[in-house]
Amino acid sequence: MQAGKSNKIEEILNSLDGLQKATAPGFFYPRLKARLEKEILPAATKPAGILRPAYALAALAVVLLINATVILTRNNSGEIVSSSETETLQSIAADYDLNDVSSIYDLNEDR
Amino acid sequence: MNEQELIQRLRNRDEAAFRYLVETYQDRVYNTALGIVQNAEDAEDVSQEVFIQAYRSIGHFKGEAKISTWLYRIATTRSLDLLRSRKSKKRFGFIQRLFGEGNEPVFELPDFNHPGVALERKENAAKLFRAISRLPENQKIAFTLYKLEDLSYQEISEVMKTSLPAVESLMHRAKQNLKKMLEKNTT
Repeated sequence: MQAGKSNKIEEILNSLDGLQKATAPGFFYPRLKARLEKEILPAATKPAGILRPAYALAALAVVLLINATVILTRNNSGEIVSSSETETLQSIAADYDLNDVSSIYDLNEDR
Repeated sequence: MNEQELIQRLRNRDEAAFRYLVETYQDRVYNTALGIVQNAEDAEDVSQEVFIQAYRSIGHFKGEAKISTWLYRIATTRSLDLLRSRKSKKRFGFIQRLFGEGNEPVFELPDFNHPGVALERKENAAKLFRAISRLPENQKIAFTLYKLEDLSYQEISEVMKTSLPAVESLMHRAKQNLKKMLEKNTT
Protein backbone atom coordinates (compact mmCIF):
# COMPACT_ATOMS: atom_id res chain seq x y z
CA MET A 1 0.00 0.00 0.00
CA GLN A 2 2.85 2.32 0.97
CA ALA A 3 4.71 1.50 -2.26
CA GLY A 4 1.53 2.27 -4.19
CA LYS A 5 1.16 5.63 -2.53
CA SER A 6 4.81 6.40 -3.08
CA ASN A 7 4.48 5.53 -6.76
CA LYS A 8 1.42 7.75 -7.03
CA ILE A 9 3.32 10.68 -5.53
CA GLU A 10 6.24 10.12 -7.90
CA GLU A 11 3.75 10.06 -10.76
CA ILE A 12 2.38 13.43 -9.66
CA LEU A 13 5.86 14.90 -9.25
CA ASN A 14 6.71 13.82 -12.79
CA SER A 15 3.44 14.99 -14.34
CA LEU A 16 5.13 18.08 -15.80
CA ASP A 17 7.79 16.08 -17.63
CA GLY A 18 7.56 16.64 -21.37
CA LEU A 19 5.33 19.66 -20.82
CA GLN A 20 4.84 21.86 -23.86
CA LYS A 21 5.70 25.40 -22.90
CA ALA A 22 2.86 27.90 -23.02
CA THR A 23 3.06 30.62 -25.63
CA ALA A 24 2.15 34.25 -25.12
CA PRO A 25 -1.39 35.15 -26.16
CA GLY A 26 -2.09 36.46 -29.64
CA PHE A 27 -1.46 40.16 -30.36
CA PHE A 28 0.83 40.34 -27.35
CA TYR A 29 3.12 42.94 -28.90
CA PRO A 30 0.39 45.33 -30.14
CA ARG A 31 -1.30 45.22 -26.71
CA LEU A 32 2.02 45.77 -24.98
CA LYS A 33 2.84 48.67 -27.28
CA ALA A 34 -0.53 50.31 -26.57
CA ARG A 35 0.01 49.96 -22.83
CA LEU A 36 3.56 51.26 -23.07
CA GLU A 37 2.42 54.33 -24.99
CA LYS A 38 -0.27 54.96 -22.40
CA GLU A 39 2.18 54.68 -19.51
CA ILE A 40 5.22 56.37 -21.05
CA LEU A 41 3.55 59.07 -23.16
CA PRO A 42 2.14 61.14 -20.28
CA ALA A 43 5.74 61.68 -19.17
CA ALA A 44 6.38 63.50 -22.46
CA THR A 45 3.69 66.06 -21.60
CA LYS A 46 5.26 67.05 -18.32
CA PRO A 47 6.27 70.72 -17.96
CA ALA A 48 9.48 71.83 -19.62
CA GLY A 49 12.65 71.48 -17.55
CA ILE A 50 12.64 75.05 -16.30
CA LEU A 51 9.19 74.59 -14.75
CA ARG A 52 10.09 71.47 -12.84
CA PRO A 53 9.47 71.60 -9.08
CA ALA A 54 13.20 71.23 -8.36
CA TYR A 55 13.96 74.44 -10.24
CA ALA A 56 11.04 76.27 -8.63
CA LEU A 57 12.29 75.32 -5.16
CA ALA A 58 15.79 76.40 -6.06
CA ALA A 59 14.49 79.80 -7.22
CA LEU A 60 12.50 80.19 -4.01
CA ALA A 61 15.58 79.36 -1.96
CA VAL A 62 17.55 82.06 -3.81
CA VAL A 63 14.83 84.67 -3.16
CA LEU A 64 14.73 83.78 0.53
CA LEU A 65 18.51 83.99 0.71
CA ILE A 66 18.50 87.47 -0.83
CA ASN A 67 15.77 88.59 1.61
CA ALA A 68 17.70 87.17 4.54
CA THR A 69 20.85 88.96 3.40
CA VAL A 70 19.02 92.27 3.14
CA ILE A 71 17.43 91.85 6.57
CA LEU A 72 20.70 90.92 8.20
CA THR A 73 22.51 93.84 6.54
CA ARG A 74 19.80 96.25 7.72
CA ASN A 75 20.00 94.93 11.31
CA ASN A 76 23.79 95.34 11.37
CA SER A 77 23.73 98.97 10.26
CA GLY A 78 20.82 99.78 12.69
CA GLU A 79 19.18 102.41 10.50
CA ILE A 80 16.93 102.45 7.56
CA VAL A 81 18.12 105.74 6.20
CA SER A 82 21.77 106.86 5.85
CA SER A 83 23.12 109.73 8.02
CA SER A 84 23.49 112.17 5.10
CA GLU A 85 19.86 111.61 4.13
CA THR A 86 18.87 112.22 7.77
CA GLU A 87 20.59 115.64 7.73
CA THR A 88 18.77 116.58 4.54
CA LEU A 89 15.42 115.58 6.02
CA GLN A 90 16.12 117.52 9.22
CA SER A 91 17.01 120.71 7.34
CA ILE A 92 13.80 120.51 5.31
CA ALA A 93 11.84 120.00 8.52
CA ALA A 94 13.55 123.07 10.02
CA ASP A 95 12.66 125.20 7.00
CA TYR A 96 9.01 124.41 7.50
CA ASP A 97 9.17 124.59 11.25
CA LEU A 98 8.16 120.96 11.59
CA ASN A 99 10.65 119.96 14.26
CA ASP A 100 8.43 120.90 17.17
CA VAL A 101 5.73 118.29 16.84
CA SER A 102 3.84 119.26 19.99
CA SER A 103 2.77 122.65 18.54
CA ILE A 104 0.86 121.01 15.73
CA TYR A 105 -1.49 119.19 18.04
CA ASP A 106 -1.85 121.75 20.88
CA LEU A 107 -5.02 123.50 19.87
CA ASN A 108 -5.04 125.78 22.92
CA GLU A 109 -1.69 127.43 22.30
CA ASP A 110 -1.78 131.04 21.18
CA ARG A 111 0.25 131.58 18.07
CA MET B 1 21.66 40.84 -34.04
CA ASN B 2 23.97 39.99 -31.15
CA GLU B 3 23.12 40.90 -27.56
CA GLN B 4 25.42 43.91 -27.29
CA GLU B 5 24.01 45.40 -30.46
CA LEU B 6 20.46 44.73 -29.25
CA ILE B 7 21.15 46.38 -25.89
CA GLN B 8 22.62 49.47 -27.61
CA ARG B 9 19.66 49.78 -29.95
CA LEU B 10 17.23 49.37 -27.05
CA ARG B 11 19.01 52.19 -25.22
CA ASN B 12 18.52 54.33 -28.33
CA ARG B 13 14.79 53.56 -28.10
CA ASP B 14 14.85 51.72 -31.42
CA GLU B 15 11.33 50.32 -31.83
CA ALA B 16 12.38 47.53 -34.15
CA ALA B 17 14.89 46.39 -31.52
CA PHE B 18 12.22 46.46 -28.79
CA ARG B 19 9.85 44.48 -30.94
CA TYR B 20 12.62 41.94 -31.61
CA LEU B 21 13.24 41.67 -27.83
CA VAL B 22 9.55 41.08 -27.12
CA GLU B 23 9.02 38.56 -29.88
CA THR B 24 12.17 36.64 -28.97
CA TYR B 25 11.47 36.35 -25.26
CA GLN B 26 7.69 36.74 -24.82
CA ASP B 27 7.01 32.99 -24.63
CA ARG B 28 9.70 32.37 -22.03
CA VAL B 29 8.47 35.27 -19.93
CA TYR B 30 4.83 34.25 -20.26
CA ASN B 31 5.42 30.58 -19.48
CA THR B 32 7.45 31.50 -16.39
CA ALA B 33 4.82 33.95 -15.15
CA LEU B 34 2.05 31.45 -15.85
CA GLY B 35 3.75 28.74 -13.83
CA ILE B 36 4.07 31.04 -10.82
CA VAL B 37 0.82 33.02 -10.85
CA GLN B 38 -1.22 30.10 -12.25
CA ASN B 39 -3.73 32.28 -14.08
CA ALA B 40 -3.62 33.18 -17.79
CA GLU B 41 -4.90 36.75 -17.49
CA ASP B 42 -2.57 37.59 -14.62
CA ALA B 43 0.33 35.98 -16.48
CA GLU B 44 -0.29 38.20 -19.50
CA ASP B 45 -0.45 41.24 -17.26
CA VAL B 46 2.79 40.31 -15.55
CA SER B 47 4.46 39.60 -18.89
CA GLN B 48 3.55 43.07 -20.15
CA GLU B 49 4.93 44.60 -16.96
CA VAL B 50 8.17 42.69 -17.46
CA PHE B 51 8.76 44.24 -20.86
CA ILE B 52 7.67 47.67 -19.69
CA GLN B 53 10.18 47.44 -16.88
CA ALA B 54 12.83 46.24 -19.33
CA TYR B 55 12.06 49.24 -21.55
CA ARG B 56 12.38 51.65 -18.62
CA SER B 57 15.49 50.17 -17.07
CA ILE B 58 17.58 49.15 -20.08
CA GLY B 59 19.83 52.11 -19.32
CA HIS B 60 20.79 50.46 -16.01
CA PHE B 61 21.36 47.02 -17.49
CA LYS B 62 25.11 46.61 -17.68
CA GLY B 63 25.01 43.47 -19.78
CA GLU B 64 26.91 41.43 -17.21
CA ALA B 65 24.22 38.74 -17.51
CA LYS B 66 22.45 37.41 -20.57
CA ILE B 67 19.27 39.23 -21.60
CA SER B 68 17.28 36.06 -20.94
CA THR B 69 18.66 35.86 -17.38
CA TRP B 70 17.72 39.48 -16.80
CA LEU B 71 14.20 38.97 -18.13
CA TYR B 72 13.67 35.78 -16.10
CA ARG B 73 14.74 37.73 -13.04
CA ILE B 74 12.21 40.51 -13.70
CA ALA B 75 9.51 37.94 -14.52
CA THR B 76 9.98 36.00 -11.28
CA THR B 77 10.09 39.19 -9.21
CA ARG B 78 6.94 40.61 -10.81
CA SER B 79 5.14 37.28 -10.45
CA LEU B 80 5.96 37.13 -6.75
CA ASP B 81 4.78 40.74 -6.36
CA LEU B 82 1.43 39.74 -7.82
CA LEU B 83 1.13 36.75 -5.48
CA ARG B 84 1.90 38.97 -2.47
CA SER B 85 -0.68 41.50 -3.54
CA ARG B 86 -3.28 38.73 -3.96
CA LYS B 87 -2.46 37.48 -0.48
CA SER B 88 -2.83 40.91 1.10
CA LYS B 89 -6.14 41.53 -0.71
CA LYS B 90 -7.37 38.21 0.64
CA ARG B 91 -6.30 39.16 4.16
CA PHE B 92 -7.91 42.60 3.89
CA GLY B 93 -11.12 41.07 2.57
CA PHE B 94 -11.22 38.72 5.55
CA ILE B 95 -10.79 41.61 7.99
CA GLN B 96 -13.48 43.61 6.19
CA ARG B 97 -15.86 40.69 6.52
CA LEU B 98 -15.08 40.46 10.25
CA PHE B 99 -16.26 44.04 10.66
CA GLY B 100 -19.32 43.54 8.55
CA GLU B 101 -17.97 45.37 5.51
CA GLY B 102 -16.91 43.99 2.14
CA ASN B 103 -19.59 41.75 0.79
CA GLU B 104 -17.53 40.62 -2.14
CA PRO B 105 -16.63 36.97 -1.91
CA VAL B 106 -12.92 36.24 -1.91
CA PHE B 107 -12.42 33.68 -4.57
CA GLU B 108 -10.09 30.79 -4.12
CA LEU B 109 -8.44 30.26 -7.49
CA PRO B 110 -9.72 27.10 -9.15
CA ASP B 111 -7.30 24.28 -9.95
CA PHE B 112 -4.81 25.48 -12.51
CA ASN B 113 -4.54 23.59 -15.78
CA HIS B 114 -1.40 24.42 -17.69
CA PRO B 115 -2.21 24.40 -21.43
CA GLY B 116 0.92 22.43 -22.26
CA VAL B 117 0.18 19.38 -20.08
CA ALA B 118 -0.88 16.18 -21.83
CA LEU B 119 -4.52 15.23 -21.28
CA GLU B 120 -3.79 12.02 -19.39
CA ARG B 121 -1.60 13.95 -16.92
CA LYS B 122 -3.88 16.96 -16.34
CA GLU B 123 -5.33 15.77 -13.05
CA ASN B 124 -1.92 14.97 -11.55
CA ALA B 125 -0.45 18.21 -12.91
CA ALA B 126 -3.26 20.21 -11.29
CA LYS B 127 -2.44 18.58 -7.91
CA LEU B 128 1.23 19.36 -8.39
CA PHE B 129 0.56 23.00 -9.28
CA ARG B 130 -1.58 23.37 -6.20
CA ALA B 131 1.26 22.04 -4.07
CA ILE B 132 3.77 24.32 -5.87
CA SER B 133 1.61 27.33 -5.01
CA ARG B 134 2.17 26.52 -1.33
CA LEU B 135 5.94 26.35 -1.50
CA PRO B 136 8.08 29.14 0.00
CA GLU B 137 8.96 31.75 -2.60
CA ASN B 138 12.53 30.78 -3.39
CA GLN B 139 11.68 27.08 -3.65
CA LYS B 140 8.73 27.99 -5.88
CA ILE B 141 10.95 30.02 -8.23
CA ALA B 142 13.67 27.40 -8.45
CA PHE B 143 11.23 24.53 -9.02
CA THR B 144 9.19 26.44 -11.61
CA LEU B 145 12.24 27.54 -13.60
CA TYR B 146 13.55 23.97 -13.52
CA LYS B 147 10.35 22.14 -14.40
CA LEU B 148 8.63 24.62 -16.71
CA GLU B 149 11.54 26.35 -18.39
CA ASP B 150 14.07 23.50 -18.30
CA LEU B 151 16.72 25.78 -16.90
CA SER B 152 19.82 24.11 -15.48
CA TYR B 153 20.73 24.64 -11.84
CA GLN B 154 23.57 26.91 -13.05
CA GLU B 155 21.16 29.06 -15.05
CA ILE B 156 18.74 29.17 -12.11
CA SER B 157 21.56 30.34 -9.83
CA GLU B 158 22.28 33.19 -12.25
CA VAL B 159 18.62 34.23 -12.36
CA MET B 160 18.27 34.08 -8.58
CA LYS B 161 21.71 35.62 -8.03
CA THR B 162 22.68 32.84 -5.71
CA SER B 163 25.19 29.99 -5.65
CA LEU B 164 24.84 26.61 -7.32
CA PRO B 165 24.85 24.73 -3.97
CA ALA B 166 22.09 27.06 -2.78
CA VAL B 167 19.95 26.13 -5.78
CA GLU B 168 20.63 22.43 -5.22
CA SER B 169 19.50 22.87 -1.63
CA LEU B 170 16.37 24.78 -2.71
CA MET B 171 15.44 22.05 -5.18
CA HIS B 172 15.98 19.31 -2.60
CA ARG B 173 13.81 21.09 -0.04
CA ALA B 174 11.16 21.91 -2.66
CA LYS B 175 10.84 18.23 -3.60
CA GLN B 176 10.69 17.21 0.08
CA ASN B 177 7.96 19.76 0.78
CA LEU B 178 5.99 18.79 -2.30
CA LYS B 179 6.12 15.11 -1.31
CA LYS B 180 4.84 15.95 2.18
CA MET B 181 1.96 18.02 0.80
CA LEU B 182 1.04 15.41 -1.78
CA GLU B 183 1.16 12.63 0.83
CA LYS B 184 -1.35 14.49 2.95
CA ASN B 185 -3.73 14.91 0.04
CA THR B 186 -3.28 11.50 -1.54
CA THR B 187 -5.28 8.49 -0.36
